[in-house]
Amino acid sequence: MKIIAIVSAKGGVGKTTFSANLGTEFARTGLPTVAIDLDPQDALRLHFSAQAPGPEGLVQATLAALPWRQHFLRTGNACELLPYGRVQESSREAFEQVLREQPRLLQDSLQGLRLPQDAVVILDTPPGPSAYLTQALSACNAAVVVLLSDAASYATLPMMQTLLKRYCLSRSDFSDYAYLVNQVDHSRQLNSDVAYVMRMQFGARSLAPVHQDQAIPEALASNQFVGDYDPLSRAAHDLGAVSEQLLRMLTVGAGSAA
Amino acid sequence: MKAAATQASGLYPGEPRTGLFDPAPSVHKARPLLWALAAIVAAVLCALVIAVPLDTEQQFGFGLVTLAAALWIRHKVAGPLGAMFLIALSVTGSLRYMFWRLSSTLDFDNLIGTVLGWGLVSAELYALVILLLGYVQTALPLRRQPKALPADTGLWPTIDIFIPTYNEPLDVVRGTVLAAQSMDWPADKLRVYVLDDGRRDVFKRFCEEAGAAYLTRSDNQHAKAGNLNAALKRTDGEFVAIFDCDHVPTRSFLQLTLGAFLHDPKLAMLQTPHFFYSADPFERNLNTFRIVPNEAELFYGLVQHGNDLWNASFFCGSCAVLRRAPLMEVGGIAVETVTEDAHTSLKMSRRGYNMAYLGIPQAAGLATESLSAHVGQRIRWARGMAQIFRIDNPFFGPGLRLGQRLCYANAMLHFFYGLPRMVFMTAPLAFLFFGAQMFQASGAMVLAYALPHILLSIAANSRLQGQFRHSFWNEVYETVLAWYILWPVLLALVNPRLGRFNVTVKGGVIDKDFFDWRMGLPYMVLLGLNLLGLVGGVWRLLSGDGTVSTVLINLVWGSYNVIIAGASVYVAHEARQQRNTPRVNATIPATIFFANGRTLACETRNFSSTGVGLNLPPRASLSIGEQVRIALSRDQLATVLPGTVVNVGDWIGVAFDELSVAQQRELGQITFSRADAWAGAWGTAKPDTPLGSLRDVINLGLGNLLRLAFRRDSAARMRVAVGARPPRPNNP
Repeated sequence: MKIIAIVSAKGGVGKTTFSANLGTEFARTGLPTVAIDLDPQDALRLHFSAQAPGPEGLVQATLAALPWRQHFLRTGNACELLPYGRVQESSREAFEQVLREQPRLLQDSLQGLRLPQDAVVILDTPPGPSAYLTQALSACNAAVVVLLSDAASYATLPMMQTLLKRYCLSRSDFSDYAYLVNQVDHSRQLNSDVAYVMRMQFGARSLAPVHQDQAIPEALASNQFVGDYDPLSRAAHDLGAVSEQLLRMLTVGAGSAA
Repeated sequence: MKAAATQASGLYPGEPRTGLFDPAPSVHKARPLLWALAAIVAAVLCALVIAVPLDTEQQFGFGLVTLAAALWIRHKVAGPLGAMFLIALSVTGSLRYMFWRLSSTLDFDNLIGTVLGWGLVSAELYALVILLLGYVQTALPLRRQPKALPADTGLWPTIDIFIPTYNEPLDVVRGTVLAAQSMDWPADKLRVYVLDDGRRDVFKRFCEEAGAAYLTRSDNQHAKAGNLNAALKRTDGEFVAIFDCDHVPTRSFLQLTLGAFLHDPKLAMLQTPHFFYSADPFERNLNTFRIVPNEAELFYGLVQHGNDLWNASFFCGSCAVLRRAPLMEVGGIAVETVTEDAHTSLKMSRRGYNMAYLGIPQAAGLATESLSAHVGQRIRWARGMAQIFRIDNPFFGPGLRLGQRLCYANAMLHFFYGLPRMVFMTAPLAFLFFGAQMFQASGAMVLAYALPHILLSIAANSRLQGQFRHSFWNEVYETVLAWYILWPVLLALVNPRLGRFNVTVKGGVIDKDFFDWRMGLPYMVLLGLNLLGLVGGVWRLLSGDGTVSTVLINLVWGSYNVIIAGASVYVAHEARQQRNTPRVNATIPATIFFANGRTLACETRNFSSTGVGLNLPPRASLSIGEQVRIALSRDQLATVLPGTVVNVGDWIGVAFDELSVAQQRELGQITFSRADAWAGAWGTAKPDTPLGSLRDVINLGLGNLLRLAFRRDSAARMRVAVGARPPRPNNP
């Protein structure tokens, strides 16, 4: 089992959309894939045409001490989803309290799932530091920092690096992290320039950029994944390239750790 | 040879050079007697091998043994050692032939025989000299690598880029200027100058907009050389890089070339190859583009590397860097001849400065657009080289080492092939028409001596040049130009002051296929004469007039001439050329943006400064006239350009809308400025096999001739010959 955390310091960078599409890409290559929503917005389920529209998810299962697997949703494609769950404010606070008290909760629960060896788990997280982010970073084998190519994203880099250093880099089961620059638009000079600077700075940790593409919002609106909605689009192409890169990163990382 | 080889291996670029004819000092001092003895023994042995008389059977035996040895070496002994053995065999066979020729075949009994016979042997002597000089020149190509620059860019020198232009359209020059400005070099140490001898307002405005310096002068004296000299007076960079206005440099040009200068303070000039995106008239009209190495590949792929070993690679007018101080020391660019580039090199060599050649394409341009333009360019080169040979002969005068004298001399003598080539193309006619005996020897004896001479030289040259010039193609290239360069060369030898600089025309359009009768006439005449000669020979055979073996030898020779002349005639058949800007085949990731915000990921098939061809995935469709934006991206660079779909088929063509200077610059940085976009074809031609090449040339010369004769209506179908082979994978 490989766990990838999708993180960012700033909201609105496209983490959830990316998590959903990445999960689908992985599932397509034949890997058992689970996407887990750690974001109280409970938005990841919107990207999957979930067949069981029940309100329960991660929170209900944890608070009721039920196995997580019970709330896995079969989705429209091979990727399975564990939604956050539609919850009252009190339940959310209780859940977050549990997360703070048991720093290894996510890690242990994931191990307890006994997923196949080649399974991939994708963790979607809320923006900025939180108990969710701490849990995700402590549990993952790899992390993807999602950014927009703008000055605001650029300014958040030091904070993210501090968190990665604290929770990930010292662990022997952690492969590596990488940066994804999202919604790159070369027809806008500043956007293009910042993307350039970021890629130069990130070097080998730079994933292939995902370009601004109308196919992404259109796919969401029509309840499809980009790769299904418009397989010839730049965005579909980019997402495919990134998932391949991440798979390679995980395999190489596992090899070097062993 | 051994001494030269040993020393050459220690001759890394930039190290202080010692003359290659000076033995290494330690060897020189340690065993002078031994060396002298070895030299004497070798000389005596050589003389014996060359001069010992043999009867016909024995000489045939010699030929068989040497040919068998050559075949064995060709297949079994790789690398420079094998090349050396093949050269040794070839030199032996050829000198033996020439010794026999001079000592036993010139006993003429009438005046016509004497004149024609001596004419032929003179042409053969010329060919032998060129063959031997060629071996010296190319036996051990240096193939130097780039030298690193210091990490501290503060130590990097200042550079002026000169882009001289006279009458070329701005469309051709624009990309060169923008690419020159984009070269990776500290901005405060790089200045780009457009030297406009046309004094055109549109150029001035473009330079202002692009931020390049624009220089003009009041007259056009001494053409390009004068233009460059005028600019030298008004600038002060430590180095000068010169680009013909259609040679678009890559970003890396300066970083790859300047290191050598910092390592070797005596280095005055470094030349890089002239690479062409487009097909030259030979390649276009014979359909051999990227299949058979073109005329220039031998020079830039091998000859300059060979020259480099002897510190005699020379400046070719473009895609080169010169150090200003030595250049000014010889009075700037030479103005005495029309090949100012080579002459400038020679002058600096005489002052003891070093020359270098770096065989990595770092700029690319347009090949000549038509046969007449191509011939015009070669006439200028030939005339200029003959002028230098007359007024500043490399065999004489101060400052040069023997190797330099030989290499420079070969560069010049090489252009004297016009007359000898015409002699070879007409020699068998003297016998076939008039029965004149130019060899006073039996046919068997001629074969016994001539065959080893010819076949061994083919074997050696195929090994030395195979990657850069296929066997027998030399004959085609030379024959096409022979008639045209013959007269200017003779004129320049008589009076080197005659003759003007003619500008090479580039970037033209040929609307439809046509046969250039005016240019083709000399080869038509050669072809016709040789065909008549064959008729005469057959008549001689049937009527029993003349020794059968002599008739047969002349018939074979005449047939070979028919093939070569046939191929040459075909070069004058100008194939259609539609574009006046180069279109380069290259695969670059691209995205089409549609008006509704949707996208299509694809790849380029080719690019030019005015549009792109795109390979679409199956199922994608576009319509002509559709407005799109095209994003091109490579590594970290990307640009988005507006355009219109102009062509839909297996692939689509998009013509860019009017691009701003900034957009043109971005486009150039992703396309022309990146050598990996277009340099895949460099030095990757199929290696030569002499028989395969002979087949190609026969196919071209005879096949096309037959098609020309019998199917006059379908011009397209005639152009099959060698082009019919499947293309190599990297050139879709």
